[in-house]
Amino acid sequence: MVIDLNLLLPEIFTGLLGVGLLVLFFLWRGEGVVRAIGYLAAVGLAVAAVLAYGTVALDTSTLQGTWLADPLAGYFKVVFLLSGVMVALLSLSYLERLGESLAEFFILLVFLTLSMMVVISAGDLITLYLALEFQVITFAIMIGYRRREGAATEAALKYILLNAFSSAILLFGLSLLFGLSGTVDISGIAAAVSAGSPQPALYLAVIFVLAGLAFKVSLVPFHMWTPDVYQGAPTPITGFLAAGSKAAGFALLIRLFLTIFAPVSTVWTTVFVVLSVLTIILGNFVAVPQTNMKRLLAYASVGSAGYMIMGLIAADVTGVEGVLFYAFMNVLAILGAFGVAVVFANATGRDDIEAYAGLSKRSPLLALVMLLSTLSIAGIPGLAGFVAKFVIFWAIIDKGLVALALLGVVMSIVAVFYFLRIAKVMYVFEPKEETPIRVAPAARIVLVASMVLTLVLGIYPAPLLDLAREVALAVLR
Amino acid sequence: MEGFFDVGLYLILGAAFPLIAVGFAALLRPSNPDPDKLSIYECGVDPYGDARVRFHIRYYIFALMFVIFDVETVFMYPWAALFKDLGAFALVEMLIFIGLLVLALIYAWKERVLRWI
Amino acid sequence: MIEYAWLIPLLPLVSFALIVFVTGRNRLLSAGISIAAIAASFVIAAGVGLEFLHNPETVEYGLPWVDVLGLRVEMGVLLDGISVLMLLIVTFIATLIQIYSLGYMHEDPGFSRYYSYMSLFAFSMLGLVVATNFLQLYIFFELVGLASYLLIGFWYEKHSAAEAAKKAFVTTRAGDFGLLLGILILFSLFGTFDFTELADRIAGFDNIPLLTLLTVLIFLGPVGKSAQVPLHVWLPDAMEGPTPVSALIHAATMVAAGVYLVARTYFLFANAPVALTVVAWVGGITALFAATIATAQDDIKRVLAYSTISQLGYMMLALGVGGFTASMFHLTTHAFFKALLFLGAGSVIIGLHHKQNIWEMGGLYKKMPITTVTFLVGSLALAGLFPFAGFWSKDSIFAVALEHGQVALYWLAVAAAFLTAFYTFRLFFVAFMGRPRSDHHAVESPPSMTGVLVILALFAIGVGFIGSPFIKEGFGHFIYFGKPHVEHLHMNIALTSTAVTLAGITLAWLVYSVRVTSFETLSVALKPAYLLLKNKYYIDEIYRWVGERVVEGFGFVLQWFDRTIIDGVVNGTGTLTEAIGRRLRVVHTGDLQTYALVILSGVALLFAILALVDPVKVLKLGGIL
Repeated sequence: MVIDLNLLLPEIFTGLLGVGLLVLFFLWRGEGVVRAIGYLAAVGLAVAAVLAYGTVALDTSTLQGTWLADPLAGYFKVVFLLSGVMVALLSLSYLERLGESLAEFFILLVFLTLSMMVVISAGDLITLYLALEFQVITFAIMIGYRRREGAATEAALKYILLNAFSSAILLFGLSLLFGLSGTVDISGIAAAVSAGSPQPALYLAVIFVLAGLAFKVSLVPFHMWTPDVYQGAPTPITGFLAAGSKAAGFALLIRLFLTIFAPVSTVWTTVFVVLSVLTIILGNFVAVPQTNMKRLLAYASVGSAGYMIMGLIAADVTGVEGVLFYAFMNVLAILGAFGVAVVFANATGRDDIEAYAGLSKRSPLLALVMLLSTLSIAGIPGLAGFVAKFVIFWAIIDKGLVALALLGVVMSIVAVFYFLRIAKVMYVFEPKEETPIRVAPAARIVLVASMVLTLVLGIYPAPLLDLAREVALAVLR
Repeated sequence: MEGFFDVGLYLILGAAFPLIAVGFAALLRPSNPDPDKLSIYECGVDPYGDARVRFHIRYYIFALMFVIFDVETVFMYPWAALFKDLGAFALVEMLIFIGLLVLALIYAWKERVLRWI
Repeated sequence: MIEYAWLIPLLPLVSFALIVFVTGRNRLLSAGISIAAIAASFVIAAGVGLEFLHNPETVEYGLPWVDVLGLRVEMGVLLDGISVLMLLIVTFIATLIQIYSLGYMHEDPGFSRYYSYMSLFAFSMLGLVVATNFLQLYIFFELVGLASYLLIGFWYEKHSAAEAAKKAFVTTRAGDFGLLLGILILFSLFGTFDFTELADRIAGFDNIPLLTLLTVLIFLGPVGKSAQVPLHVWLPDAMEGPTPVSALIHAATMVAAGVYLVARTYFLFANAPVALTVVAWVGGITALFAATIATAQDDIKRVLAYSTISQLGYMMLALGVGGFTASMFHLTTHAFFKALLFLGAGSVIIGLHHKQNIWEMGGLYKKMPITTVTFLVGSLALAGLFPFAGFWSKDSIFAVALEHGQVALYWLAVAAAFLTAFYTFRLFFVAFMGRPRSDHHAVESPPSMTGVLVILALFAIGVGFIGSPFIKEGFGHFIYFGKPHVEHLHMNIALTSTAVTLAGITLAWLVYSVRVTSFETLSVALKPAYLLLKNKYYIDEIYRWVGERVVEGFGFVLQWFDRTIIDGVVNGTGTLTEAIGRRLRVVHTGDLQTYALVILSGVALLFAILALVDPVKVLKLGGIL
């Protein structure tokens, strides 16, 4: 048995990074160890991201097909690692509010990123399921990190229990797939499904797998956990949930629905359309009356999932390209916005929108990043979010779903409405206190980088679009 | 159906064995109950209070620590059974696995989880 | 010079970047860079214009911007009659207004910021003008919207200014979504964004209903940006911005972007007669509707704002009846005299220390002679009296409407012309003539402002002749759709319009200057009508009601639904305050079970969808596409 360990290089590196940081933590319990581990985690994840970028061009598998190293996996690994780096750097600005056991926070973060990488590289259902559970358990720990706070423990408990519930549904779907094809291998199942005629059991599998994954990416009506958990979790982790975890969910949706379920696409596109309509309407409208910044961003992020799912409705190269671009842009915009919330909460201890009054006077950088990030999510031209929505709308209009695109555009106007309200609070209202807010260097790097990339990708998206298109072509081959 | 017959036989025998043993004992033993004899056995001490008592959090941590060793053993059985066929690669694999668990144990140790206060 | 035309939009961008990143702290240097950049752009534009006069040929070049499989978009420069014309107008007026702003914004703490926004606007507007394809056009269309948003809300500490900025942004975006959708449908049909290629491919396209639909969708963008009914509500509020901004953006250039867009994509409209009729009627109704409102406004800038809406309506009307040349001609003359009027108003506002109510002015002709004379010139041009600029362009619109047999629209336009003359001179007589109506100490503005007024006044007199029948190869020789347009003298139309204009002026003179009947008695006698006009037909109130009730109400209903029905009563009201320990368990059990129930019902819903309906068909609009 020959194993090409090069294919696992980013994972091996990330795993060793986590273990190494743990060992470092045993050996050195001095002053400043937390910051050192935080920075090391960020740098290490960045290196892993470079390694992962090297695997985007690969299209092969190893370990008897349980491990896939294809462009889809490579692309999303870069996305996960990038958000991991940003979250690590942001967390360094959040230490005061995290409580105790700070070094472990970063070590867990490394393992969390690793779990997502395994999810997208899994070539069989068992590896896939185990990796998902690995991710859920790690997330639950991190969501409940501020264990002395009621809201945090509540969020963690809700997250893990509801995840167990949805995992059961997903597992039921996966076991149906196994029953239908007699194999757990994804490509084997795909071959078996496309060979035989569709059976009712396959439709059941579609529904259950979809319900399980819809929970992970919080499509309405599977979104219930999102606002509560987002609000209770430490803000950097909320950002990771909205950026990384969501991307992982969509990576799996692409992986499963465009391969295994491709022969019955007429069946599930119908379902996707309904979910998309529900999600963008509810996500955007319920965001309007929110008063808590994290809750508002949570609903906005629910809405984003509704747009991303449209790319899967199109189920063609352009649609997948749009989803891939959206996932990347979402990391920048969401972590930009949550990054501002992180720094702000650390300085003032508040999350309500009212507290943001006059932010432009207290810290112009924070206000500007928040403005551009939210407008990017809303899809204002010139920012990356516009390109993402544009490609996706284009894909579904190409399929003749004009009314859906129309609804999408109308709902993004609603998004502009509530995001401009934040802008008004930040730029127009008088600040309650005048004290300037200091932005730590680590957070500054993240905020400036996300802002610059959002602008650059908005003005010159061609390089990333090219990459996304190549990945999409590989997926649909 | 072959396989299911074996399983069914196994289930029936598994249920019958304790039933027969306890049933015979009930028939043979003398029966003269008194209050002390009927009380719940708790290390010879008189039991008191409700059954729903709150355990100290430390017990849970020990239960978690136990899982480390428990799972380790579960994985090592099939590994040991096939060790000769798998060869050196399996040895390295198992060493990595154990290494990770040892690391977890050291972490717990360092965090003073093993100390009973 | 034509090969350097790409520098025209780029120079202001450079100046924007320089001001933001380098010279922000130095007020005069920032202003200097901005003015130098726009003046240089003007010089290049003038060179391009001269070359175009000698050799009127369409030139197009560009760089690939997005080049992914199947989609190739350029950032390019398209130079033909209308874009060269617009380049000249925009750079010239922007240069003048930036110089004027030196005096007007002199004491403002945000001086550098002002010039950076002005540069950003110039970049966006010029980029829009030279766009070679729909995508480039759309991007710059949104960028001018952003610049306009920033400039309307320039004094963001004023609540009303911030509100106005938001209103402008949201209202115009409502139109833009139609534009975007139209562009996307267009692309899915023809596979290109490029204007030249589209013009070729559209010729053989015979699905006229579809073409009409998407053309009307595209027209929604101009309706928002050029403040046509019913999306006109943002423009009067936009007067919260500094007055030079109102002059440049909300009178002379940006609001004309909508008209320009229709002209640029005229090959679409020309193939969809129904869409063209829509354009004509929206324009005609806007022209009359805004003119009626303007007669009852008290704020000097708001009168001018409604007048702008009305004049933009004229341009749309002209496009709608097939008067491509007439529309562009009116756009040109309007840019000059409306900029002049706004800058005159700005001069008055500065002279009176930020009074804007015309009933607190009066008697300014003694204190501010230059402003008064130039304002009079602008008023005459706006009213359309021979031989001022507005006369020629308005008459060519009348002529084209009659030529194409649109009698109803013609009379609509004539009625609006009467009202135009009336409200313009109501403003002039009340604000400038008579005795001071309040205790004010007006002083004439500095030369940097009055100088600009004089230059613009000369143009407001002279610019009309380039399109008059007296010049053989005039305006219509260069700016046309199809074949060159030759202007004829229409004696009866000229006489009608002159009569109507004189009637309007006379009425204003009788009521507001001679006071044959006092204004107060009139307003009492016509109270319902007066109130209706004064309150702008209550359109803002209607929109606000709809906005609040429907959008926010819907949001609240859904949130209530989410919280109460779905979230479960316990959690919906449960705040995590004291006694978390005990209560939390209760919250949790109630909560999670509900959540889990919803997930299960979600699964059931998915089954139901599969079993019962097929929404894909429904969403395909019943097979239109």
